[in-house]
Amino acid sequence: MIKAILVFNNHGKPRLSKFYTYLTEEMQQQIIKETFHLVSKRDDNVCNFLEGGSLIGGADYKLIYRHYATLYFVFCVDSSESELGILDLIQVFVETLDKCFENVCELDLIFHVDKVHYILNELVMGGMVLETNMTEIFTRIDEQNKLERQEAGLAAAPARAVSAVKNMNMNLSQQIKDIKLPDLPQAIKDLKF
Amino acid sequence: MPAARGDGMRGLAVFISDIRNCKSKEAEIKRINKELANIRSKFKGDKTLDGYQKKKYVCKLLFIFLLGHDIDFGHMEAVNLLSSNKYTEKQIGYLFISVLVNTNSDLIRLIIQSIKNDLTSRNPVHVNLALQCIANIGSKEMAEAFATDIPRLLVSGETIDVVKQSAALCLLRLFRTHPEIIPCGEWTSRIIHLLNDQHMGVVTAACSLIEALVKRSPDEYKGCVSLAVSRLSRIVTSSYTDLQDYTYYFVPAPWLSVKLLRLLQNYPPPEDPGVRGRLNECLETILNKAQEPPKSKKVQHSNAKNAVLFEAISLIIHSDSEPNLLVRACNQLGQFLTHRETNLRYLALESMCLLAASEFSHEAVKKHQETVINALKTERDVSVRQRAVDLLYAMCDRSNAEEIVQEMLHYLETADYSIREEMVLKIAILAEKYATDYSWYVDVILNLIRMAGDHVSEEVWYRVIQIVVNREDVQGYAAKTVFEALQAPACHENMVKVGGYILGEFGNLIAGDSRSSPAVQFRLLHSKYHLCSVATRALLLSTYIKFVNLFPEIKPQIQEVFKQDSNIRSADAELQQRASEYLRLSVVASTDVLATVLEEMPPFPERESSILAILKKKKPGRTVDPLDVKDQAEGAVGSAAAGNTGGVGVSVNSQQQQQRQQNGQTTDLLVDVLGDIYSSPPQGGGGGVPTQNNFTKNNLGTGDGGTQPVDNLKKLSWKNNGVLFENDLLQIGVKAEYRANLGRMTLFYGNKTAFPMLGFNPSVSCAGELASKVSVQVKPVESTVEAGAQVQQLINMECVEDFTEYPSLVLTFMYNSVQQKLNLKLPLTINKFFEATDMNAETFFARWKNLGGAQQESQRIFKAAFPMDINATSAKLSGFGMQLLKGIDPNQDNFVCAAILHTKSQQIGCLLRLEPNRQAQMYRLTVRASKESVAKQMSELLSEHF
Repeated sequence: MIKAILVFNNHGKPRLSKFYTYLTEEMQQQIIKETFHLVSKRDDNVCNFLEGGSLIGGADYKLIYRHYATLYFVFCVDSSESELGILDLIQVFVETLDKCFENVCELDLIFHVDKVHYILNELVMGGMVLETNMTEIFTRIDEQNKLERQEAGLAAAPARAVSAVKNMNMNLSQQIKDIKLPDLPQAIKDLKF
Repeated sequence: MPAARGDGMRGLAVFISDIRNCKSKEAEIKRINKELANIRSKFKGDKTLDGYQKKKYVCKLLFIFLLGHDIDFGHMEAVNLLSSNKYTEKQIGYLFISVLVNTNSDLIRLIIQSIKNDLTSRNPVHVNLALQCIANIGSKEMAEAFATDIPRLLVSGETIDVVKQSAALCLLRLFRTHPEIIPCGEWTSRIIHLLNDQHMGVVTAACSLIEALVKRSPDEYKGCVSLAVSRLSRIVTSSYTDLQDYTYYFVPAPWLSVKLLRLLQNYPPPEDPGVRGRLNECLETILNKAQEPPKSKKVQHSNAKNAVLFEAISLIIHSDSEPNLLVRACNQLGQFLTHRETNLRYLALESMCLLAASEFSHEAVKKHQETVINALKTERDVSVRQRAVDLLYAMCDRSNAEEIVQEMLHYLETADYSIREEMVLKIAILAEKYATDYSWYVDVILNLIRMAGDHVSEEVWYRVIQIVVNREDVQGYAAKTVFEALQAPACHENMVKVGGYILGEFGNLIAGDSRSSPAVQFRLLHSKYHLCSVATRALLLSTYIKFVNLFPEIKPQIQEVFKQDSNIRSADAELQQRASEYLRLSVVASTDVLATVLEEMPPFPERESSILAILKKKKPGRTVDPLDVKDQAEGAVGSAAAGNTGGVGVSVNSQQQQQRQQNGQTTDLLVDVLGDIYSSPPQGGGGGVPTQNNFTKNNLGTGDGGTQPVDNLKKLSWKNNGVLFENDLLQIGVKAEYRANLGRMTLFYGNKTAFPMLGFNPSVSCAGELASKVSVQVKPVESTVEAGAQVQQLINMECVEDFTEYPSLVLTFMYNSVQQKLNLKLPLTINKFFEATDMNAETFFARWKNLGGAQQESQRIFKAAFPMDINATSAKLSGFGMQLLKGIDPNQDNFVCAAILHTKSQQIGCLLRLEPNRQAQMYRLTVRASKESVAKQMSELLSEHF
C-alpha cells in the first residue's frame, strides 16, 4: 500500500503532499522535511529505493523516488508493493501531468494544486493503484475539464490573465525549468545544473 | 490552452505570486496571515459568497496548508460546497475535505448525507468523487454508513467500469479499518469473479481487494487461485496488441501481472495439476522473456518487464517446489547482480536473500558469494550495500562463516553509521551460530567492540559474557584476550565492561603469568575507572570485590579504592552503596563466607540468543533467520547433527537461574548486582507473575509477538522494588524507600524498542482529596528516551494524613510518530509509612483491648485467593511493613502483627490478626487501628493478597 505521495522541489519546498493514512499536520510537515533530507543527499545515479525515515515507519517502508529537473516525486510504500511497479507509476503520473498541462513545469504544480490532486485521484485511491492506463486517465480528466468549461461559461476570460501572470513569473524565476520527460536515467544527467 | 490549465482564479494566482515573491520567511508569514484574516472575514461576513468565490478561498487555504500552516477554519464552507450543483464546486469541496479533515472530526457526520446523495447520482463523475472521499477518510463511521452501498455498487451489473474500479478500492480501504464490512456467503464468489471482468482496470483494483481478503480468510477465497492463474496466463501469452492501452512500453499489463503474482503468493502451489502446469508455464515464459532482447531502449520498458520478472521470482521462491525454476531464478538474479542498473542490483540482492533460505537453491546462491562481497566493497550506494549485508547474512553457513564474518568485520570499519548497529548484531549472531572454535567467537566480538564500540548494544556484550561463563574451554582465552585488549590506551567503555566482568570471574586463570598478575590486572582496570560512566564504575566495583576473593594479596589496595571519597562519598547513591557495602564485606567476612558470596557465576540457562530477538524486533518480517533456516536445510540434507545448533551448549537446572529467567530481563542474567532491582524473583508460592512469564516466551520466541501488558500495581503494595508496568514498548521499574512519614521513589523508564521515544513526559499527580493528604515532589526527566535506554525519575513524598487513593502517573510520549498515553497509578499505599513494632503478648493484648471500639475495628472474611502457605503469608505480611509477632496468639496458625503508621500530623497504631481456616480455604482478617479510616483501608488492601 502507498502510505504517502510527496512532491517537493530541490529546495525542499512541498508542491504536493498526499497522505493515505491520517497524520497530524505537524507530522506531515516533519515527514516531508525528513524525506527531503533523505532523498536530496543522494546522488542522481544511485538506485531509486531507500528505506523510509524513522517518522514514516523506518525499514518497514520504502521510499521510491524519481528526480525530474527541479522536482522530486517520492512515493512511500510498504513491502506489499513492487518497487519497479511504483517507479513506473511515478512515470505514469508525470507523463499524465505532462499531457494535461502540455509540458508540465513546477509552476503548474504551484498554481494548479487542485488539478494535480484531481489527476492523482485518478491514479491512486486509498493508497492503492487505481488506474495505470494513461489513455483512460486522460479521458477521465478531459471529461472533468469539459464539465468545468461548461460551468465556467463566460467566467473563462480571466484565465488568460492568469496565464499572463504565470508567464511573467516564468521569466523572472531563474531556477524553474520545464520538466521534460527524460529517458531515464541517461537524460537526468543532462538536466543537472 | 492546455487541457488542465483551463480557467484560473485571478485572486489565487496573485496571492501565490505574492508569496513566491516574499523575500523572507517573516514576510511570507505576514502575507499568509493577512490572507487568512481576509478569508476569515469573507467567510464570516454578511455578504453571501457565490460558488466561485468559495472555491477561490478554499484553493487559497489549500495552498497555505501545503506550505505547512495550520488551517482551523473553512471546513463548513467546504461542507457546503459538497452539496453544490456545480461539479467544480463540489470537486473543490471534496478536495478540501480529503486533505484537511481528520478521521475523528465531527464534520464527518455532516458530510455523510452529501456523500450518500452523490453515491446515488446518475452522473458517474459524482459517484467517483464520493467514493474518493470515502476512501480518503476511511474511518469507521464511513464504513458503517456505507456498509451496504459500496459492496452493492461493486457487484451490480449496472455499475459502469470506472465506478466499479473505484468501489473495489474504496471497499478495500474501509475493510482495513473495519473488517466486518465485507459480507460473506454468496458475495465471496461474486467478488472473486471480478477477476474475470472485461475491463483490466477493474481486475487490477479487484485484485488488490481480493489479496487483502485472502489474507484474512484464505480458505474462503481459495477459488481465486485458478482464476488468477488463467488471467495471468492470458496476459503473459498474449501478443501485446490484444491488451491495447494496458500495454505499457511493450509490456502487457505489468501492474496487473504483478498484482496477480502477488496474490498467488498467499497460497501454496496449486494442487490441481492442470492449474499448476499452467502457472509453471507462465513463470517459464516470464523467465524466457527476460532473455529476449529488449523491445525498446527506454528504461520504462525494462522497468515494467523486470517488475513482472521479480514478482515471478518471488512466487517461485515462495512456492519453493520446482527445483528447475528455482535454479533458473537464481541464475537470472545472478545476472542482475552485475547489471549496470543500480535498481536491478538492489532488487537482485534483495530477492536473493529469500532464495538463500530455500534448500534447493541455497548452494546455488553461495556461488555468488564473491560478487556479493564485491558489492559490499564497491557499491557507491548505501542502500545497495545494505542489501548486500543482508544477503551475506542470509547465505552464511558453517562452510563460509569465517570468511563472511571476516568480510563483514572489514566492511564495518568503513560502514555508514546508519547501518552499523545492525551490522554489529548480524556479525555477533553469525559468529555465535557458526563458531566451531569459541576463541574465534571471542575474538570476533572483541573486534566488534574495538571497531564499533558505540554501536555494540548491551545485548551483544551480555551475550559474549553468557557464552564465556558457560564454556569452560574458552574462559582462560577470553581472560587473556580481554586483558590484552584493555591495554590499548583508548579502549571503548564496552570493552571495559566486558573486561571488568570477565577478569572478575576468570582473572585467576591468567594470574600465574607475572605480566598479568593480580596487581597488574587491578591497576589496568582501575586506570580506566575514572573515565567511565557510573554504570560501568558500579560494575568495576563488583569486579574489585571479586578480586578481593580471588586475590587476597591485593585486598589492601582494593580497600583503599573503596574508601576513596569519590566512591564511598560518591554523589551517586548506587556507587556509594556499593563502595561501603563491599568495603564492609571485605573487612568483616571470613574467607569462607567471601568465597561463597563471591563464588563464580553459575552457567546461564540455554536460551535463544537475545541478540537475535533484537534483530527480529528491528526488522520484523524482513530478517531471514539463518539459525532456523539453515538448521532446516542441514536437517534435510542430513549433513549436520541435530542438536548442534545453539551456541551455548550447557543447560543448567539451577532454580535460581530459572527464576531469573522468568523475569525476562537479560540484564539480570548477566550483571549480578548491577540493576538487580528488576530481578526480584517471585516470592515463594504467593503472587507468582504469570503474565511476565508469558512475556518472556513471547518476546524471545517470536520476537514480534504482542506482549500482554504487565501491571503490578497491587503486588507492589507489599514490595518496594519491582516492575510496575511493562508492555511492548516500555518497562517501568520502581525502587522505593520509606522512613517514618517520608518516602523516596525512583521510577526507571526503560525503552524496549529500537526507536527513540520523543516528548517523553511522565506526570505524577495527586487528584482531589489525595492532594491534601500526600505531598509529592517530582524531578523532571529528559524528554527523549533513546532506543534501549533507561531514564530515572526521582519522586519525594510525604504522608500528611492517611489516604486511600493511589497517586496517578500519566505518561505521554511519541513513539514511531504515534502519540502514546499511559494512565498508571503509583504503588503508594498507607502501609508504606508503617513502622514495624515489636511487642510482647501482654502489651499486644492490652492494646488490642484498648482498640475495642466498633469504630476502630474492621473485619473481613474472604476466600483464599492464593495457596495457604505459611511462609508466603508471613513474607507478605512483613512486606506490608508490619511486625509479625510470633507465639502470641494461642492458635499457632494465626498471624498477629503490629505497626505504627507515621503521618505528618500523628502516629496511628495498627494491629492485625489473620486467622486462616484451611478446610474452608477461608481467612478472617481483623484490623484494629486508633483511627477508623486506617483500619478500613488496611483491611481492604490486605484482603486482596491472601
